[in-house]
Amino acid sequence: MSAALRRYGGGLPARIALGLLVPLALILLWDHQARHGGEHAFAFVSAAQVAGALRELWQSGDLLTAYGNSLRNAFGGLFWGSVTGLAVGSAMALLRPVDWVLTPLYHGLRQVPLLGWLPLIGLWFGSGDLSKVIVVSLSAFYPAVLYTYEGLKGVEARMLEVGRLYRLTPWQTFWRIRWPSALPSIFTGLLQSVAFAWIATIGVELLFPTGFGLGTVMQHGQLQARLDIVVVCIAVVGLTGFAINLLVARLSRHALRWRPVRT
Amino acid sequence: MSAARIEEATLRRIVMVASPLAVLLAWQVLSAARVFPPEVLVSPQAVLAAFGQLTASGELARHLGESLQRLLWGFSIGSGAGLLFGLAAALSPTFARLFDPLFQALRQVPVLAFIPLLILLFGIDEVFKIVIIAKAAFFPTALSTLDGVRGVPRAWFEVARIYRTPLPSLVWRVLIPATVPSVLSGVRLSLTRAWLVLVAAELIVADSGIGQMMEMGRQMFRLDVVMVGVVVCGVIGFALDRGFVLLQARLLRWRAQPAGAEA
Repeated sequence: MSAALRRYGGGLPARIALGLLVPLALILLWDHQARHGGEHAFAFVSAAQVAGALRELWQSGDLLTAYGNSLRNAFGGLFWGSVTGLAVGSAMALLRPVDWVLTPLYHGLRQVPLLGWLPLIGLWFGSGDLSKVIVVSLSAFYPAVLYTYEGLKGVEARMLEVGRLYRLTPWQTFWRIRWPSALPSIFTGLLQSVAFAWIATIGVELLFPTGFGLGTVMQHGQLQARLDIVVVCIAVVGLTGFAINLLVARLSRHALRWRPVRT
Repeated sequence: MSAARIEEATLRRIVMVASPLAVLLAWQVLSAARVFPPEVLVSPQAVLAAFGQLTASGELARHLGESLQRLLWGFSIGSGAGLLFGLAAALSPTFARLFDPLFQALRQVPVLAFIPLLILLFGIDEVFKIVIIAKAAFFPTALSTLDGVRGVPRAWFEVARIYRTPLPSLVWRVLIPATVPSVLSGVRLSLTRAWLVLVAAELIVADSGIGQMMEMGRQMFRLDVVMVGVVVCGVIGFALDRGFVLLQARLLRWRAQPAGAEA
């Protein structure tokens, strides 16, 4: 980082300024549209209105409550989905009969777009938090299975041979050889699970208007034509996604720091 | 290959066909034994009957046609724009500096979170659906094009400069062959995303399309219609992806090694 900074030296502020040019221009255009009217004046809101909506949502506590609920759904789903995904993926990778039985089912079910399950799950489990957590955990489940499976399967043959030379028990082979060498792949899967879980949470909340999450707030904002509220929610959703990705990337780098860096 | 290996391969094939059949059979038995009430678990025959009915009445074909038409427009516009954006950002540092922050910021926001905003801006007509699909298709293609073009060794450009290669042939003779594999894998992701978002958008704002068919089925407690929708969604998603992989293999057949994107 510091090397990069030094390399660009005085050019860095200029680069940042250049990067801010387009977003600023867009915001100004948007603001202008909102205040001076145009074809879609009703739809545009000024920056001041957005700030007002943020203050309103913050002071009423709605934003925090909704945010908390969304995060709870996301993490609940993420937890169940990745734990079962890890278990199923490991079972498929380690036990051949399980692999044969589950592979066609897994790939068959995976073809259905995630939110396509919503009507069915809604009919079966109602449109409460249970359905939401089920869909979110499904979104986290798929990548967890795939990357656990590939990680455990992709162990280098020579490592296993070394294990055989040392007469390791199956458990030792798993714990000492397969698991560590699968970890990078599993973390990649987790990274995807986290991202998908957050996306799925918002999608489910938009589609199931029960409960009170960020998606619900957006949905109400849309129904009341309150674009300012919608924009605030989009910003919060985007920032959260960004923060989550950053966090998981850091965590995986930390957890894998024993590994010689390839990239 | 030894006899034991061949035997194992056959056994594997049998199990892989048998396991989905076993699930179907279990479904049939459960619904015939009325373990769950029929509103909760319809029998496979009922689903088949609903499929026949929807096909005969032309309803399924109409919904599917609408959906696929939207997909075609949204996907073409989105991934086309993504391709152009990726190319421009990779070739012109100024362009990259201008648009990169905006690009990165928008990328953090899940497509689904834009649905309320786009509904307010564009209404719930065709335009909205095409815009949201295009947005979903834009980012994977743009990213992979950017990475692909940036990954072209600098030396190749230098050689082209020495030969005073004009821009069109630089693009046609150097850039395209060098970047097609990476670009295509991005386009494939775009296609999958577009289909996912299309189904979600149709579930949310229903007037026609396969998603709307499922949503109506849910509201009228027609579990059989919902099931037909889930299966059709899955089959179409699978067919789109498979078709694209085949196309990819054909386009890349000049390469000595097949693209690693298979499966």
